[in-house]
Parts: sequence; structure tokens; C-alpha cells
Amino acid sequence: MRFVVQRLSYYCLAFLVAATVNFMLPRMMPGDPVEMMFARGNMRLPPESIQALRATFGFVDGPLWEQYLRYLKSIVTGDLGLSVKYFPSEVWPILSRACVWTLLLVGCATFVAFLIGTLTGTIAAWRRGTWFDVTVSIGSIVLPALPPVVLALVTLFVLGTTLNLFPLGYAYDPALDPGFNWTFISSVISHAAMPVIAVALVWVGGFASTTRNSMIGVLGEDYMVMAEAKGLSRNRVMFAYGLRNAMLPSITNLAIVIGQVFAGSLVTEVVFNYPGLGNTLYQAILARDYPLIQGQLLIMTFAMLSANFLADIAYLIADPRLRVR
Amino acid sequence: MQGLVGQTLRNRKALAGLVLLAIIVLAAVLAPLLTEYQPLQRIGRPHQAPSAEHWLGTTRLGQDVFAQLLYGARTSLLVGFAAGILITIVGTITGLAGGYFGGKVDAAINVAANTVLVVPNLPLLLVLAAFIGQAGPLVIVLILSATSWAWGCRVTRAQTLAVRTKEFIQASEIGGESRWRIVFIEILPNLASIVMINLIGSIIFAVVTEATLEFLGLGNPQTVSWGMILYNAQNTSALTVGAWWEVLAPCIGLALLGTALSLVNNAIDEVSNPRLRAGLALRRWKLRRRQIEGAR
Repeated sequence: MRFVVQRLSYYCLAFLVAATVNFMLPRMMPGDPVEMMFARGNMRLPPESIQALRATFGFVDGPLWEQYLRYLKSIVTGDLGLSVKYFPSEVWPILSRACVWTLLLVGCATFVAFLIGTLTGTIAAWRRGTWFDVTVSIGSIVLPALPPVVLALVTLFVLGTTLNLFPLGYAYDPALDPGFNWTFISSVISHAAMPVIAVALVWVGGFASTTRNSMIGVLGEDYMVMAEAKGLSRNRVMFAYGLRNAMLPSITNLAIVIGQVFAGSLVTEVVFNYPGLGNTLYQAILARDYPLIQGQLLIMTFAMLSANFLADIAYLIADPRLRVR
Repeated sequence: MQGLVGQTLRNRKALAGLVLLAIIVLAAVLAPLLTEYQPLQRIGRPHQAPSAEHWLGTTRLGQDVFAQLLYGARTSLLVGFAAGILITIVGTITGLAGGYFGGKVDAAINVAANTVLVVPNLPLLLVLAAFIGQAGPLVIVLILSATSWAWGCRVTRAQTLAVRTKEFIQASEIGGESRWRIVFIEILPNLASIVMINLIGSIIFAVVTEATLEFLGLGNPQTVSWGMILYNAQNTSALTVGAWWEVLAPCIGLALLGTALSLVNNAIDEVSNPRLRAGLALRRWKLRRRQIEGAR
């Protein structure tokens, strides 16, 4: 329990630091952020409307600490202000809509990478020294070293423009109305296929090499010899006795990786014009939409901290030694 | 330390990686000898396919892609190595100081490192680059270093904690050596493999992130770099109009550089941590297998 409280208070501190950085950034930049935003947007507004807008966006006059307190209050109440690019839409609904697509993308990609990586890693360890093992070993060194942007562009080139297998952008066919029917769902699946593949390719190598290494360690254990000596089928020995024990480091890996998958999906979303958080952030940066950028950074920090906290809880369940302290 | 270098050089993966790295560095350094064109010079018609004259075709603006690839390698290597070295220096010094001095120094460094570690790195980088506006290579190096030192600090600190309780450290403490001398002369050489892995990992990260930032249009458009080629290709819809060479050339450059560094990293990891080598467990497994087969 002390461990949980300690971690939790620690994450609150980290969030506060991130929020403060977020608060300071636009105020450290030269010029008036509100005027700059509208200057870029080529919008002409009378001074009194600019004053009103400044208030809506949180850039009120007054000492810095007062602005800071007001800013913290707006975070706690979940009021992230208005977007400039999608004016007069609020930041919060834009982000929650984008969040759904990113979660879908990241969730599917992590699942696919974990499944394929674990499977190929297990088989590679079982058939050490064969061409399959060599391919997997080389692949798991090369793939993680490739930038996500390279994998995304190559996927787009091979599967998209050359083979024409999948549509090139958006989350679903814009001509369709969202609904719970097969036409819509199949459109979502075919649009998600390439981004999912591109993101999964980044992570599959890591899972494969982790599983392969730990599986080779497990193969030397007495219970594996015992299982084989009992005359169990090869698949049963491989998966029920070997993989089950060899998977533990992969699960740890999974917790660490999830936060990074979010970052990796960012550029992939831009390449495939997929309407998730990454693409929204990109569009917001291009339009210098400060409220949207700030809201985005806060949400991503929050997601990352939650993932870390969940990983801590998972360790707590898996490792009884932590519970004693 | 010398053992580490020697053993690493004898490793086949490391050798392959170093040779590949050397080829890329040579190509970047000898760029003016390998191509007669300037990277930003208009020398042909737009989007010409690869030919004997233009080995990798031309861009939308009629620039030679091969020349851009060679000169772009300079930026990628420079930013990668500069940021990688800076990240490693900051991470190693904070890690050593925290681990050895302990107390308040350690607590402060630890809080800072853990905070940097949990704030999502890439979005923060993007936002920083966007606020600064058209970040040149030097700015990219600085913001990369400021946001990415924490991992190395954490790993170095853990290892320092393990080394500082050893007898030879206590002996030099009793001998009255200065604390910084103990840190750098007695402890640091024992962390050689960690520092090397941190360095190469950071270089890979810096190369990838620089390319990403520039691809997203947050870099300075006047720079010639692999990320910039990709950005221009994306902007001129190179893939859609069939100019695949403009996209694939920097992709292959990035892939080769990443692979080279990753091979070296992998080899150092294997050399310094024998348990990672599959060989030992494999031999034990084969022995058991023979025992079973003998018993049958």
C-alpha cells in the first residue's frame, strides 16, 4: 500500500511538472500568442473581440502566478479551452474523438506485434540454427533500428501505391455514415490495416528477440527435459511448458513498450493521414493552435503516467517481494 | 576496457556493423568526390527516374537525389553523433554523481530523471521544436539532449550503486583520494559497456528523431538532410506521382545507418553480458538432449 501511495504521489508531481512546462512554453515565446495565432490564420478581428478571445484561451492579464493558478484550475475542471483551428469547437471533444482512433490503432498494433513476435521468437528458439532462426534473429536486430517514419513510408509504398491493397488515408470511407453495420466496420478495418502493420513492424522485433532469448534459457531447465521424457507432444512442450515460462519478460516488455508505441504511432498517423492524436497534434502544430497543442500534451502525459501506474500495479501482483515493503 | 574493445571487434556482428558504418561515414565525407552535383542545385527536369546520369533520379525541383543523399548523410551523422555524445555525457555524469554521492544530490537527480522519463518524449520534442520554429541542426541537438538523458542516468546510477560497495573503492576512499577522482578513475572504467550501449542507443534515437522532426516539417528547410528529403517528397506527393526513388533513397540510408549502429550495440551487449549469449544455454540443452537420447 505504501508503495502504491508513493508511486501515485510521484506521478502527481511528474504531471505537475509537465503541466508547468506546458504553461510556460507559449509565455516564453516572443510576441503575443493570441495575436500570433490569428495573424497566421489571416483573420482580422476588432481589438475587443481579441481581448475576449484572449480570456477564452486563458491568456488573461494579471501577474503570472494568478494566470498559473487559473490554468491549474482549468485543468482540474477539465476545461481545456477553445481550439483555434477548429474554432469555435472546444479542445476536449476534438481530442476525445481522436483518442478513440489512436487507441484502436495502438491496441491492434501492440496485439499483432506481441502475437507474431512471441510466436516467431518461440519457434526460432525451438529450431535454433535453422534458416528460420537466422531470419528471425537478423530481423529482430534490423527492424527495431528502423525509424517508424521509414517503415510507414515503405508500407505505404509497397502495400498502398504499388499493390493497391488498401485505401491511402482517413479512418473510414468519408462517403459512409458511421454506424454499427458491416459496410462501415469493413471500411474501418481496411483503412486501419496499413497503419497497424506499420506500427506493428516497429515492435515485432523486440518481442521476438525477448521471447527467443528467454525461451533458450528455459529450454535448458529440468522440467522441459521431464516434459519431453514423459512423451508429451512437441506443441504441448513448446507452448504449455516452454512459452508459458518464457513469456514473463515479454509481459514486462509490453508494459514498457506501450508508452513508446503511442509516440511511434504519431508519425505513422501523419503518413497515413489517420485521424488520431498524433495527426491532430501535427495539424495543431502546423496551425499554431496553442490551446489544442497544450491540451494534447497534457492528455498524452496523463495517458503515459496511467500506463506506468498500471505497470507498477502489475509488478505488484507479479512480484510478492514488493508487497512486503 | 581494452578487453571490451578487443572482444567486441572479434564479434562478427560488430564487425559487420562497423564496416557498414565506415562506408556511410566515408560516403558522407567524400560526397564532393562521389558526385559532381550540389544538393540544392537545379540540374535536370523534375522527377526524372533513376538513370546513368542521375543514379537516384531527381526531385520535383530537379535536384539530384543521390547528391542530396550523400550530403544529407553529413547532417544525419553530425546530429546523431553530437546529440548522442551529449546525451551520454549528461546521463553518465548525473548517474555517477547520484549513485556515488547519494543523499540530497541523489534525491534531486532521481526526481529530475524520473520526471523526464515519464513525460512523453516525442510529443514534447515536437511542441518544443514548433514553438522555437524552423529548428536548425544545432537546436535539434540541444532539445534532444535536454529531453533524453534520463534513461542513461538511471542505468548508470544503478550500476554505480553496485560498484561503489566493492573493496577497491573503499580502499581508495581510505587512501584519501578525492571523490571526483574515485568517480572518474575508479568507478567509470567499470561502467564502460553501459556507457557504450547508452552512447550507441542515444545516437540511434537522435538519428531517428531528427529525421522524424524534419519529416514533419519542423526543421529548417534550408538544411540538406535525410529527414528534409522525406519532407519535400511528402510535400510534392512523390509517392502518388510515382517518384518512389525520392522516398526510398533516404529510407534506405536511414535503414542502413540504424542497422549498422544496432549491430554494434547488440555485439557490445553480448560481449559484456555473457548470459545473453545463446551459446551457453544451448550447449547445456544439447548435453541434456544427448543424455535423453542415450537413455532411450
